[in-house]
Amino acid sequence: MPKLKQNKNGQTNSINQVRYGCALGALHSVVAIPGAMPITHCGPGCVDKQYMSLAFYNGFQGGGYAGGAVTPSSNLQEKDVVFGGAKHLDQLIAASLKIMEADLFVVLNGCIPEIVGDDIGAVVARYQAQGVPIVSAETGGFKGNNFTGHEIVTEAIIEQYVDKYARNKDQKQKGLINVWSELPFQNTFWRGDLTELKRILEGAGWQVNILFGYGSKGVQEWLTIPRAEFNLVVGPWLGLRTAKLLEKKYGQPYLHLPVLPIGAKQAAEFLRAIAAFAKENEVQTEKFIKEEEKEYYYYMEYFTDFYAEYWWGLPASYAVVGDAAYNLALNKFLVNQLGLIPALQIITDCTPEKYREAIGEQYKHLAEDVSAEVEFAEDGYIVGKLLREGQYGHKPPIIFGTTWERDIAKELKGHIVEVSYPVSYDVVLNKTYIGYRGALTLLETIFTTAISKSA
Amino acid sequence: MPKKINLDIASVEQREQRLGTIIAWDGTTEELHRASSYEERGKRERGSGCGGNCRLCELSGPFTQGSVCSEQMVECQAGNVRDAVLIQHAPIGCGGGQVEYNSIYRNGLAMRGYKVENIRIINTNLQESDMVFGAADKLRQSIDDAFGRFQPQAIFVASSCATGIIGEDIESVADEKEAELGVPVIPLSCEGFRSKHWSTGFDATQHGILRQIVRKAPRKKQEDLVNVINLWGSDVFTPLLKNLNLRVNYVVDLASVEELAQMSEAAATVGFCYTLSSYLAAALEQHFGVPEVKAPMPYGFEGTDAWLRELAKVTHREHLVEDFIRREHERVKPRIAELKEKLRGVKGFVATGSAYAHGLVQVLRELDVTVDGSLTFHHDPVYDSGDSREDSLGHLNEHYGQVKNFHVSNRQQYQLYAFLQENKPDFLLIRHNGLAPLASRLGIPAAPLGDEHIAVGYDGMINLGETILEIMAHKKFHDDIRRHVKLPYKKWWLEQKDAYILARQPELAAFDAEEYRKERKEAAHA
Repeated sequence: MPKLKQNKNGQTNSINQVRYGCALGALHSVVAIPGAMPITHCGPGCVDKQYMSLAFYNGFQGGGYAGGAVTPSSNLQEKDVVFGGAKHLDQLIAASLKIMEADLFVVLNGCIPEIVGDDIGAVVARYQAQGVPIVSAETGGFKGNNFTGHEIVTEAIIEQYVDKYARNKDQKQKGLINVWSELPFQNTFWRGDLTELKRILEGAGWQVNILFGYGSKGVQEWLTIPRAEFNLVVGPWLGLRTAKLLEKKYGQPYLHLPVLPIGAKQAAEFLRAIAAFAKENEVQTEKFIKEEEKEYYYYMEYFTDFYAEYWWGLPASYAVVGDAAYNLALNKFLVNQLGLIPALQIITDCTPEKYREAIGEQYKHLAEDVSAEVEFAEDGYIVGKLLREGQYGHKPPIIFGTTWERDIAKELKGHIVEVSYPVSYDVVLNKTYIGYRGALTLLETIFTTAISKSA
Repeated sequence: MPKKINLDIASVEQREQRLGTIIAWDGTTEELHRASSYEERGKRERGSGCGGNCRLCELSGPFTQGSVCSEQMVECQAGNVRDAVLIQHAPIGCGGGQVEYNSIYRNGLAMRGYKVENIRIINTNLQESDMVFGAADKLRQSIDDAFGRFQPQAIFVASSCATGIIGEDIESVADEKEAELGVPVIPLSCEGFRSKHWSTGFDATQHGILRQIVRKAPRKKQEDLVNVINLWGSDVFTPLLKNLNLRVNYVVDLASVEELAQMSEAAATVGFCYTLSSYLAAALEQHFGVPEVKAPMPYGFEGTDAWLRELAKVTHREHLVEDFIRREHERVKPRIAELKEKLRGVKGFVATGSAYAHGLVQVLRELDVTVDGSLTFHHDPVYDSGDSREDSLGHLNEHYGQVKNFHVSNRQQYQLYAFLQENKPDFLLIRHNGLAPLASRLGIPAAPLGDEHIAVGYDGMINLGETILEIMAHKKFHDDIRRHVKLPYKKWWLEQKDAYILARQPELAAFDAEEYRKERKEAAHA
């Protein structure tokens, strides 16, 4: 047997304990846009698998208006494989338009049509020609994960819908920004996080197209994308592709801030960077930071008593296992706000190779005096091995990870805070761990977990 | 003589071919029973044509919502064997199931008192180039990884839609690796597109276990051992069977490979649902001489009495059974009478897998709960043994009366709306996900029966009664939600009385550009 390529951690092709969905899983990016609905052209179990893993046993977020068992699906059968499924899709689209209420439909395919060669673009084009707000996205499951799928979907909506229906594309609206950040549903806390992100950006004087979740005006908001002054990419890499597309398409510059801000220090740095980039809203930004810090440090002052003199031991070192965005964000906060010691950082979202070096650089400068290494691994067995081999000092670590790390946390007699997909032991509604407010919630979670151990 | 189950080939024969399974139907349970012709089908060689009166028509329309696939059922069975590993030879999307079935596995382990730990499923993570060049080496690598990391007693390999289409020869790789590693390496044919109903996935797992794990030359006959084919449910069979001096061998979920191997040594096989147990139980009898208990399923007094009597007969314990039945009736009747009082005038709706639903309706009727309507995800007109004593639908009709609004609907939420309007139930019994969320938005609570044993036997009637009272108390929540949400279905659809109208008149769903534009315009104004 020819030896397959393995990386330095011994990772083979095997993935035990999945940490992302497939490209089709990005149907959840459609579900996240108010007023939009996915139509899926795939096998009978594909939608259920992506839903149950990304949206149910991951914070029990739920399917909402267009997800879960609502999503139309062609549930492909043997005859579709043999004879092709394009006609089947055509019938499903027509029936969906008759039965389902939505402002925008996004047709996504799975592995089967991708292999047998159904031309979903051609089927969808016939409806587009008749004025139906519908787009097609080729998200065959073997093309990549749901991060890849997310940008395929985003691009499809921009190219096939926004570009066609948006008005006054050339008139930029001063102060309006498009925000590309967390991956909806994959990131368990995306709803609360995007709300907080929008709140602090608005507080600093911006008008915000947040594009996904409750704070978005949905499909109507997407139509204003071309009018934004610039695009803001928040996170180590996701969204850069979309920002580059928009730069080319509508001449919009973009600002890339790799650190999703948690806590007052990071949030202030974040807001000042945006104001400096645009040379706008500088005064309002400073005013907002001042107000927010007043509130933030009011609570922090009271928290100080606990953090300074709790008798029964608090964790000192930590490990983070998760998507690049949360991984880096948590590291920044834990080091700079709490002074915890980074022991092990593992990014699990299959970050494209070209971004990895730059991300590694970020970890080298977590603080002026704190530097860390970051590993990239996706297979749970490798993650477990790395955690087992980790050096945590004389006390067990606190692990920021997924449900998969519960066993190893027990083994190490450590603590676990579930922050990354899958989060199967946390019920999440609007909880946020970012910004000013989210940071306080994060502190509550971390230390409730830590001190509950003796209970 | 019904056709014998064929264990000579690696792939399981699909359920629709063996049993004539359908996934869409509309009528009364008596009509369905007549159309199913259980007895006739049971006698003839299956798959040999219909011969006039045993044709079962299926309603197939242009609209469907995401359903469930066979591979998921493989994950929830083969993936739940305690000392085995399941490999998904598939792109990463199929791996999504690892999350769901891990949660189920962990809860199941806790419920049965085993150490809680993560499920062991490995995905081969196939990429675009693998679709072109094949991925046998990746499968070999993952089998080696499974063996090296976990030292399993068996390795299952599930196929996927992608590997099915590109023609991966999983069987050859499995043979090669089995010879090399010295543990069973078991290919399971469970491509999602291959069968119209996911219950074929149960059969696929059982087929592999029968071929490669069950001991062909039993070391000893264990005359007090009973195979109980179940999932991860709580241990209700041990106390029940103890009264007949019988021991339980739970299979397939949460069993060890050795517990699966010893199935051929047991005195009998029983199940809680023929949808799940049909294939394995019939094959154990046909190929290993372990008798299947052929009786109504153990639900309600009628069903449980008959089931116990047949089990006692098969295991030669008739002398113990009558006294036990009498004592149990006496024990549970007062509490059931109280529950009946509390449930007076309440209307229920069952929405679960096929045979299981028949059993649940029986229990509801024991509790005097009105059941005018129900749905099942599929319907098997006959089970593998072909024996009429297993005719669960017939038993329901005969002993508990028919269900007048009976629908076969494969987890199609849009159809449930019409069913609920038609029946106006106070609660739903559900098992698979996807239907309760709609019921909730209509103000109707649902009891999710995650523990599949909850309604089994005499205590099952009490358990289910108590559960219904608990979930009816949730109604306040659901009523509140009902007032604050908008359904994703158009007014036109919500006004339809016939949930199968698009199957009967597919032309209604044809696209009309003019009408669509008009509608959008009105919506924009509203």
